[in-house]
Amino acid sequence: MKHLKKLALASVLSVAALSGTALGEETIRFATWDSDESLEIQKEIARRFEAANPGVKVQVEPYADGYDQKLIASFGAGNPPDVMYMWNYPKYYTSLMPLDDFMARDAEAMNLDDIPPGLINTTRIDGKAYGMPAGFTTHVVFYNKDMFEAAGVEMPSEDWTWAELREKAAKFRDEESKVYGFAVEAKPDPFDYEQFFWSNGTRFIAKDGSAVDGYMNSPEAVEVLTMFADMAANEEAVVLGIGDNSSGSALFKGEKLAMYQSAMWSKGGFDEAGINYGVAKLPSFGDKPVHSSIGASAMSMAKDTKNPDLAWEFIKFFSSAEAVKLRTNDLPIRTSVAEEMEMTTDPIFKPFFDMLAVSDSESNAFLKHENWGKIQANLERAIEATMIEKGNAKKHLDDAVARSQRHLN
Amino acid sequence: MSGVQDRQYQRQKFVEKLTPYLFISPWILGFFFFTLGPLVFSFVMSFYDWPVVGEREFIGTQNYEVMLTQDPLFWDSLWVTIKFGLFFVPFNIILGLLLAVLLNQKVIGSGIFRTIFYLPSVISGVALVTIWAWIYSHEYGILNFLLGLAGIDGPNWLGDPSWALLAIVIASLWGLGGTMLILLTGLQSIPKELYEAAKISGVPGWARLIFITIPMLSPMLLFTFITSIIAAFQQLTIALLLTGGGPLESTYFFAMYIYDNAFKHFEMGYAAANSWVMFLIILALSMMVMKSSSAWVYYEGEMKKGGNKDA
Amino acid sequence: MLRTFTYGALIFLSALFILPFYWTFITAVKSVSELYQYPPVFWPSDVQWENFITAWFKQPFDVYFKNSAIVVVMSTIGQLFSSSLVAYGFARFQFKGRDVIFIILLATMMIPWDVKMIPLYMEFNMLGWINTLKPLIVPAYFAEAFFVFLLRQYIMTVPIEIDEAARMDGANSWQIYWRIHLPLMMPALVLVGTFHFMNAWNDYLGPLIFLNDQSKYTLTLGLSMFKGLHETDITSIAAITVLLCIPPLILFFFAQRYIMDGAIGSSVKG
Repeated sequence: MKHLKKLALASVLSVAALSGTALGEETIRFATWDSDESLEIQKEIARRFEAANPGVKVQVEPYADGYDQKLIASFGAGNPPDVMYMWNYPKYYTSLMPLDDFMARDAEAMNLDDIPPGLINTTRIDGKAYGMPAGFTTHVVFYNKDMFEAAGVEMPSEDWTWAELREKAAKFRDEESKVYGFAVEAKPDPFDYEQFFWSNGTRFIAKDGSAVDGYMNSPEAVEVLTMFADMAANEEAVVLGIGDNSSGSALFKGEKLAMYQSAMWSKGGFDEAGINYGVAKLPSFGDKPVHSSIGASAMSMAKDTKNPDLAWEFIKFFSSAEAVKLRTNDLPIRTSVAEEMEMTTDPIFKPFFDMLAVSDSESNAFLKHENWGKIQANLERAIEATMIEKGNAKKHLDDAVARSQRHLN
Repeated sequence: MSGVQDRQYQRQKFVEKLTPYLFISPWILGFFFFTLGPLVFSFVMSFYDWPVVGEREFIGTQNYEVMLTQDPLFWDSLWVTIKFGLFFVPFNIILGLLLAVLLNQKVIGSGIFRTIFYLPSVISGVALVTIWAWIYSHEYGILNFLLGLAGIDGPNWLGDPSWALLAIVIASLWGLGGTMLILLTGLQSIPKELYEAAKISGVPGWARLIFITIPMLSPMLLFTFITSIIAAFQQLTIALLLTGGGPLESTYFFAMYIYDNAFKHFEMGYAAANSWVMFLIILALSMMVMKSSSAWVYYEGEMKKGGNKDA
Repeated sequence: MLRTFTYGALIFLSALFILPFYWTFITAVKSVSELYQYPPVFWPSDVQWENFITAWFKQPFDVYFKNSAIVVVMSTIGQLFSSSLVAYGFARFQFKGRDVIFIILLATMMIPWDVKMIPLYMEFNMLGWINTLKPLIVPAYFAEAFFVFLLRQYIMTVPIEIDEAARMDGANSWQIYWRIHLPLMMPALVLVGTFHFMNAWNDYLGPLIFLNDQSKYTLTLGLSMFKGLHETDITSIAAITVLLCIPPLILFFFAQRYIMDGAIGSSVKG
């Protein structure tokens, strides 16, 4: 009941904060893709910014699942928000404000050294930074401790391999109660999926973006897809995304999954469902170095904003220690905050930071070629086809490469 | 004296001429305010390389050429859409008619039944798709659970390329409450005397259906025919959210192809060109149906004088 | 025999149509632990009615409700008037360009939303209508093609002799529309009202594109906010879905009588 009241109060407050603009106020429009609890956190940060800057009003615009479509409409019609969450820099950067000058100006006041440069690098196009990170996540494997104990399976070790994961996963499969040891995606987000390519020593596309042949269909790439297909064929893992829209996190919450590879965004739900879980690093391919994809929630500024200085103040506030501390749904971008909150030693959070530490040597494919979106569609098809046929990875990846040639120009 | 009368006659003639335009003026104005501009805009756009932001470049008919000659997805998605339409359009009309005829009889609780059949049409798209995802889930779905109770090993509805399109057809047909209502309204407007007269003359039930109901209902059937075709071509939400076009593009509809080009690949010009092709295809199909309608649609209120050639 | 068959078919089909809705309902009141159980739970052991309240207060749904109500009521009124006027114009007059204009009208139904979106946004932005409810209301006053077509088909099933008789009695075109066709159209108008009501009530893309801040959002936007980029709040979606169905269903239950009773014969005689 207490929980209820808190929610009721929060919604009343948020309406109060949203309604009406008094005269003489400056308004900043801030668009976010977050919903639910993460959205409430951002509203709280915005409220604090308003409190610290009298006369300024922040209009938080949550677009949730419709984010991309809405942003396209508003940019296309020349009426974008002043500040927005951004990930698709290659498509938008010509309408975004480079932030390097601002950062250089305020470097000391912001204590920029406190922020890992790898995070800012995820926003760079042609050397210029177009976004300021506010939170991030790396990828890990969640495992259900109770299920491990009940099945008498040894918990994942600090440095484990995919072979070990598969061996453990096989022990959980139960046909009657529909329990699986692990889940593999037939329609993964390629942005995250590339971490498996990196961890096996290859990538989607050449570093300079010139070729996919020999990368996307390299023997290492084939190995990755074949491994996941084998896991599906041997029932070590349930296949998600073809025929089962039940999300992996839903299955994990329902204790139908012993292990689930995901990121910070799943954690809140697992806590709420009261799952007794542990967190492990991503497994490695043999003795190759493991590498995680980094998802940064970064804030960008529209080039045509009427008040760039105020917009920058707002962005800066989002990366301040005060704001970063409030963001409990992703990870603090400031090392000092992470240390202060003892996250770097906490067994639940430590693996995320361990992954961050080893994951700064690669950059995502979509930053390397302007037509990546279309090339990616072919790759997605290859992954899906491999998972449906539970094999033939080589053939499908070759096919994806052939289909992609016309977009490489 | 004739001058005054003449002027009066002239004025009356003018008012008479103007009247129909006044009646249709709301739509005409709306067309100029909200439709024509976007239409022209998108037509111009289709000759440009038009990213959402950044440089726009005039490229002539290149968008159309690439679409027709180089892009396999154009033909694939068109074929998927046609296949869908071939199932969806007839079933939507036949099942809608069946329900309407059932409900047109005097049954106890007919109001409840009508409400039940309309129920799915009341549910919004987001929720609708979530519901179907639960139903169709291969491992955890209620449909395969129920089939399992009957000893049937259910297919992977959304995961098997040969089943997924059918699954989408079924999910779409679940919303045929609208069609049912339209036809029911049409049935209600058929004068009861016709049936009574036929009954007295000893015409059997099936013949009354074919020789009275269908002809009298034909204007409404024409309406559902054309709007079903349009609905089939614009089918997007269910496939987008339920299967994402997969597996292996087996449910990759033409509307989704346009959607992807616009919102995933940011190629507004290309998407505009796609849209124009789709527009022309639907228009051609609708015109064919309209043209054929003079042979099978019977208008009780047709204006016999002046050779009212219906569109 | 025919009776039995009719009832049998109706009850069987009703079950098919109601089952998914039933599933949504029990999902809304299930506890987290029963939500993902397999085999599925057909009646939750612990019915959590408070899920409805929790979901409602997770977002300012009272504000959304007000906005949706304004949009739905205002636009439905406009749609009923404008589309019946236009339909009468097309159904009962011979005029220059009628058939061509009617084809254009039909064609406007076929334009995909994707390409209209940006130009429309620009236009509404110039008018200063972005982030107001106007883009969702005003166009309804300019007759949507779908409804014009529907009403025109309906009017054309009405014998022309009725018009001719009225004209003999000295009625002008407006009077014929207002006194004769509008009452005759009642069942079809209820149909148009129902359809438009549902379209406006469930519209997602329009509000998404034209509204910016949460105090302007409609119910469907609120509902979609439970589906985040990575995680979906299934219980809340189910709960709000059930709640959102109630007002239209009640309205529909009462409206459908008019579809059935307002048949031509009775009104003509009256």
